[in-house]
Amino acid sequence: MTRMGDAAVALDYDVELMLRVKDGDSASFALLLEKHRGPVIHFLYRMVQEQPVAEELAQEVFLRVYRSRASYEPTAKFTTWLFRIATHLALNWLRDARSERGQERLDDGPVDHPSHQISDRQASVEQQMVHKVKLEEVREAVAGLPDKQRAAVLMHKYEEMDYGQIARVLACSESAVKSLLFRAYETLRARLAHMG
Amino acid sequence: MACPLESHNSELLVAYAAGELEMEAAHALERHLEECPACSALAAGQAAVWKALDAWQAPAISPDFDARLYRRVRTEAPATWWRRLWRPLRPMPLFKVLPLAAAACMLLIVSVLLERPANIEPVAPRAETVRVDQVERTLDDLELLNQFDVASHTDSAHPNTM
Repeated sequence: MTRMGDAAVALDYDVELMLRVKDGDSASFALLLEKHRGPVIHFLYRMVQEQPVAEELAQEVFLRVYRSRASYEPTAKFTTWLFRIATHLALNWLRDARSERGQERLDDGPVDHPSHQISDRQASVEQQMVHKVKLEEVREAVAGLPDKQRAAVLMHKYEEMDYGQIARVLACSESAVKSLLFRAYETLRARLAHMG
Repeated sequence: MACPLESHNSELLVAYAAGELEMEAAHALERHLEECPACSALAAGQAAVWKALDAWQAPAISPDFDARLYRRVRTEAPATWWRRLWRPLRPMPLFKVLPLAAAACMLLIVSVLLERPANIEPVAPRAETVRVDQVERTLDDLELLNQFDVASHTDSAHPNTM
């Protein structure tokens, strides 16, 4: 596989930046924010599927990073630590939302589907409609996955994390991640294979 | 090559669909796919999933995201020791706080009930310290009073002597 495995922590530039933040360098925090803002928010959006909630959770992620600066110890890759915080917050939010809404499915209600999701602005209205329906199908298929499977798929697909790093984020074994991904992709194939 | 499905190595097919395999490994797998319909179907399905997920773009991030974050960072004033102590409990929801409070109350009640009365030492009466000079002064006072009584009796017996 060509996916990059966990580089040595010492070589992780983000870790170096975080250590500078620990020493009071706020410019390094700005660099970390600039670099990871997008991936964290996008990951959270695909987890909770509500953009305002995703941004609010992302604010909390970076706030926690900032708050932890004094006690920060580079024991893992920075992104592992960052996504562990993000995943923890997302899973908690999903759990709380489920308990608040009872058995109501998250994807039953109206959600934001901004028009900019349609990449080809020149496409005809009909093509746009088809595209929108397909996106809705993808979104629903991902939303239908159990929370941990969803997190594993999103980190694997969009963050290009290898099994080892996903395992460290989810605090489980690599074999557990393989099992999560196997079941998740099996479900997604059953729902989305016809779109190929 | 060994069939990925038979050897419980389906992640190889996932990696192939994601374009993650080295060229040599990819070619070996492609040769296998030509003769294994099960693996071929799985690989095609996985490729479709990958393509579908590729189409799902996340919305744009609010332009004021950083500003909002830095506002919150600025309000994180240098925390005093008691604020740092309190912080883990502050966002705690009621359902987490209540058991803690109940446990604290129980602990208090049990500690009060276990306080045995036998443990309380009876207070010994304080020995009165009698000072000689006080006694002498009291006796002097009494004698003075007696003299005063005698004088008053004498005055009342002879009212016209004044």
